[in-house]
Amino acid sequence: MNFSSFLLMRQEIILLTIILLLVTAEISISKTKKHSIVHLAIFLFGIHTLVGFFPTDTGSLFGGMFHTNALIHFFKNVLNVGVLILLLQSADWIQEKIVAQHRGTEFFILLFSSLFGMYFMISAGDFLMFYLGLELSTLPVAALAAFEVTKRISSEAGIKLILSAALASGVALFGISMLYATSGSIYFDDVIKMIASTNLTLLGTVLFFTGLAFKISLVPFHFWTADVYEGAPISVASYLSVISKGAAVFILMILLFTVFKTLMPVWENIIYIVALATMFTGNLFALRQQNMKRFLAFSSIAQAGFILLGLMAGNQLGTATIIYFVMIYIFSNLAAFGVVQAISLQTGKENMTDYEGLYRTNPNLSLVMMLGLFSLAGIPPVAGFFGKFFLFTAAASKGYYLLVFLAVVNVTISLYYYLLVVRAMFLRTSDQAIPYFKNKLYMRLGLMVTVIGILVLGLYSPLYDYIFELSKHLN
Amino acid sequence: MERIIFYIIAFIIIVFAMASVSSRKMLRSVIYLLFVLCGIAGIYFLIDYNFLAAIQLTVYAGGIIVLIIFSVLLVHHIEMELEMAKPLRKILTALLCMLGLGVFLYTIYNNHFNVVDNQVTTTTADIGSKLLSYDAGGFILPFEVVSVLLLAAMVGAIVIAKGKKLTDNNDTEL
Repeated sequence: MNFSSFLLMRQEIILLTIILLLVTAEISISKTKKHSIVHLAIFLFGIHTLVGFFPTDTGSLFGGMFHTNALIHFFKNVLNVGVLILLLQSADWIQEKIVAQHRGTEFFILLFSSLFGMYFMISAGDFLMFYLGLELSTLPVAALAAFEVTKRISSEAGIKLILSAALASGVALFGISMLYATSGSIYFDDVIKMIASTNLTLLGTVLFFTGLAFKISLVPFHFWTADVYEGAPISVASYLSVISKGAAVFILMILLFTVFKTLMPVWENIIYIVALATMFTGNLFALRQQNMKRFLAFSSIAQAGFILLGLMAGNQLGTATIIYFVMIYIFSNLAAFGVVQAISLQTGKENMTDYEGLYRTNPNLSLVMMLGLFSLAGIPPVAGFFGKFFLFTAAASKGYYLLVFLAVVNVTISLYYYLLVVRAMFLRTSDQAIPYFKNKLYMRLGLMVTVIGILVLGLYSPLYDYIFELSKHLN
Repeated sequence: MERIIFYIIAFIIIVFAMASVSSRKMLRSVIYLLFVLCGIAGIYFLIDYNFLAAIQLTVYAGGIIVLIIFSVLLVHHIEMELEMAKPLRKILTALLCMLGLGVFLYTIYNNHFNVVDNQVTTTTADIGSKLLSYDAGGFILPFEVVSVLLLAAMVGAIVIAKGKKLTDNNDTEL
């Protein structure tokens, strides 16, 4: 291993450097100037995101524990862009609420450590690195969920997240130990050669899947989602629903399409049932939510169900559609969460009835929200339609017509509750409508990027071709 | 001889594990857990994993248990007894647990394992050089990532422990 091969993991190295720089900054910057750390962190992360766009080679390091290729590198960039938007949207909240409590830097350190864990999770070449990445990506988020220590509901969210995460990762570890027992190795490459469809391997696979299903909040492992989203600060809820879920979907896809490929006839059935249960539960529960955060929580459960449709294809088409959909999902959900964040920061209101008459007072915010919700629902001109359409095509290409039909039924249900919000904003009038307010620069920038993302992803088709081309690295 | 010792240790582990989850007093549960962890260390000694056994004793039996005892003692209502569950719920839970245990035991016993003859005793020096090796089979990368995990865990713990009072005091100082 020579020195230049370290360039393969330069994203990890840069991110770790940023974390350490922030630790140093926290010590050296005086108390009165702490608010400058927000600008510093966003600036450093912006540079990191830009540097990430330089292409990388395929290769592995540390005897196969870490491996990367163009597809993994691309997905890390997607995560970076998502986190950057999230930082822009939450900058004002951190400035106003968190820096005043002298905990601004810690927020960034924890957030970046979690992202650091995700990098290693999706680049993992063996189960040890995978497990460490999973833990590192979850543990700091539990502290972030409990970040508003003055609120009881926030501490409760932190405890709920850490307890259910501990249980899920314990189950996953038990599954990994069974896979190790049958294959005699923790390296993915060796497991691929040894894996056979014995009962113990299947049991291990199911337990392992459970651990990841928790992260993606698939039914029946979704019970923590709504409570944690409601209690946690909006930025953290948004991080959990977008970045954390995206990374977990990606690594699940990699493992199912490579390591567990031979077991496909078995896990196809599991995914089939889980996808149906997730879509129906998420959509039916979302119908009756009044709190916007709970509403988005159930909507994100339902969206996870749609993503599973792409897994059913199990080929290059499946990979490309999943990554494309996850990208659209990141932008759309960040748009919705961004508006909720902006309104909550200004007025503290989080209920759907508070949004009545929003269009008359804040037309721009309502337009961003509408675009995000239309994209989540899958209404044709915006990106979400193509994302869902391609996912359904992928599942239909393997002949799962009934599943696709039921998914379309679910899209119809979801259209109803997304339009409920749109109706509240545009058609309803209210005496207590949220008065007009102007967002600060970072928030406006954050919302603008999501809008551009939704439009570009939907209208610029070479992007999909590029993702399709990259997907050959996996299959 | 080995077989007899194994069964004795296994018996201790199972009995205390059951006592730990069924005891209604927190502190007692923790002490029973201590015996479970010591028993597991005994099994490691039995299969000649001396280093792992020592780690098990120092980290789990020594460190984690003391930590849990501290946090239990810091809780106000230490005398509080946990509520008894309703009989129906008890029976249902027991049934489900037995079912799960049955599935696991059945699968594990019916699996044909590749038995590998291993006579090499791993020394601490081997483990040390493996931990710092970056070739195949080396563990330097996980070792480093764990250090970030510990950093994040410490920062997280400080953030949560820095309650409202402390931050308010800081405000008045400014």
